[in-house]
Amino acid sequence: MEILLIGILLLAGLAFGTLGSHYFGVPRVVGYILLGMLFAPDLLGGALGIDAIEWTQPMVSVALGIIAYLIGGSASLTQLKRLGWGIVGSTFGKVTGAVLVVFLVVGLGGQLIGDIPGWTFALVIAAIAPTTAPAAIVAVVHQYRARGPLTTTLLGMVAIDDALGIMIFSVVLAIVGGGAGHALPVALWDIGGAIITGIIVGFLAERLSRRLHEQELRLVVLVGSIVFLVGLSEAWGFSALLASMALGFSARYFSGATSERLFEPVEQLEELVFVLFFTFAGMHFKPDVVINYAPLILLYFFARGAGLIGGAMIGARLAGAPRVVAQNVGFGMLPQGGVAIGLALLLAGSPRFADTGTLIVNIVTATTLLTESIGSLSARFGLRRAGEVNQSGWEKGHEGE
Amino acid sequence: MKASKWLKRHPVEAVTVGRDESLLQAARQLLNHPETRDIYVLNEAQEVCGHLSFRRLAGLFLAHQRPTHTRRQLIERITPSTVREYMDEHVLCVRPDERISDVLHQHMERRVEDIPVVNDDAQILGVIRVADLLRAAIEEEQAETRTGDA
Repeated sequence: MEILLIGILLLAGLAFGTLGSHYFGVPRVVGYILLGMLFAPDLLGGALGIDAIEWTQPMVSVALGIIAYLIGGSASLTQLKRLGWGIVGSTFGKVTGAVLVVFLVVGLGGQLIGDIPGWTFALVIAAIAPTTAPAAIVAVVHQYRARGPLTTTLLGMVAIDDALGIMIFSVVLAIVGGGAGHALPVALWDIGGAIITGIIVGFLAERLSRRLHEQELRLVVLVGSIVFLVGLSEAWGFSALLASMALGFSARYFSGATSERLFEPVEQLEELVFVLFFTFAGMHFKPDVVINYAPLILLYFFARGAGLIGGAMIGARLAGAPRVVAQNVGFGMLPQGGVAIGLALLLAGSPRFADTGTLIVNIVTATTLLTESIGSLSARFGLRRAGEVNQSGWEKGHEGE
Repeated sequence: MKASKWLKRHPVEAVTVGRDESLLQAARQLLNHPETRDIYVLNEAQEVCGHLSFRRLAGLFLAHQRPTHTRRQLIERITPSTVREYMDEHVLCVRPDERISDVLHQHMERRVEDIPVVNDDAQILGVIRVADLLRAAIEEEQAETRTGDA
């Protein structure tokens, strides 16, 4: 039954997403989520005999491993150095802003409103907040033919912020997941073990892939290494996310200039992973949770937005970014996407978050639907204000031809 | 047929660029030779140390026209650099005394259209174009058909 359902989710999700995008102009992820919602146990899923969704967990772990690998390998050290302080400062600002504001607002909200979970919950959901959806930003930049310093900053930020987000999330999870008493050694192993193992497996995978000329064989090595590492992390108790990111980073580092062959085959899997993430997230939909916790969802949405916008603007100013960047950079950071959904799904499957996992997935899913629409409008507003719309390439000044 | 023999019959000079040249320079070089699909990167000792395909260069220069990017492509788009950082270091070469049929499969698998011929010092002697191999194969088949018909 589960295999049949996965097939239906992939095909129908893609159809929903593509048709929605074509006829209504909404991002594909909206269609993926809505299709998943239809199959939630509280809706059609119940009638079809789908009463549990725990079986999705191993797939979520592997899929997150694939995404973390790609994020870890997205930039070389020299490229990171060339990014410039404007991009780095804005990114640190927005990540710090989102984490702090969401943590404080949701945490205080929990104290003031009785049925909102406590500080641990606030910390974990704050750690999910800084991730963004590069696809949404790139789509806006492409649609409006944007070009200029703000556009470059936005593209740089969305390329690296998920890496920071995953690091923060992994550290938070290592701290709150360790339990009282032996928290420090467990947290150290969770982080250190992941990084060391990831680097070693990355080195071995890179050396092995040098001997393979066929892309199909390299794909086996790369996906095999990711799955192996995710499995090893479960057996040895370290962070699968950090390990997979370290795997990507290390493979990129040891490959020298020739990194394309190590990432291009795996990049082909990214959309498949996101269709699974978004439809699985939709399947966690619980109408009563969304209704009962509507104030919390709105609280998270506004706190995240304020933290991202304010943090990015402050970070850009401190880093000495041009005025046009510092004043508008925050507006392009709102869309929340697959990485946030994946992290929320990971929590939903963890026994440590048995009480709050479903709530977290519903909050992140609902706000993803909101930010995918509002986030594009906000990014367009920022680009227009910066005067960077219709500035790209040979089409500059030739709109409508 | 051995690579050296093929090169004598079908001499094609390699298009090359220094590894510290700009991507723009590499693109201009390639555009000056429309039939060439691969540009070979040379180090200071004039040894082949990498290659860049036409598709890769076009992808980098036309990135702003693409509606979707991976994170890796985003970083590449905003941190332009020299040829050294974008070239593929793994160049599958053929030695003059090697048979083309022994190396063709690997080249086809890697989706490259030119096969560089290099000597023992990794200096490039010429290029075997897959398009020329295809042309030769078709001519051979047609000749066989004509012989059969006769």
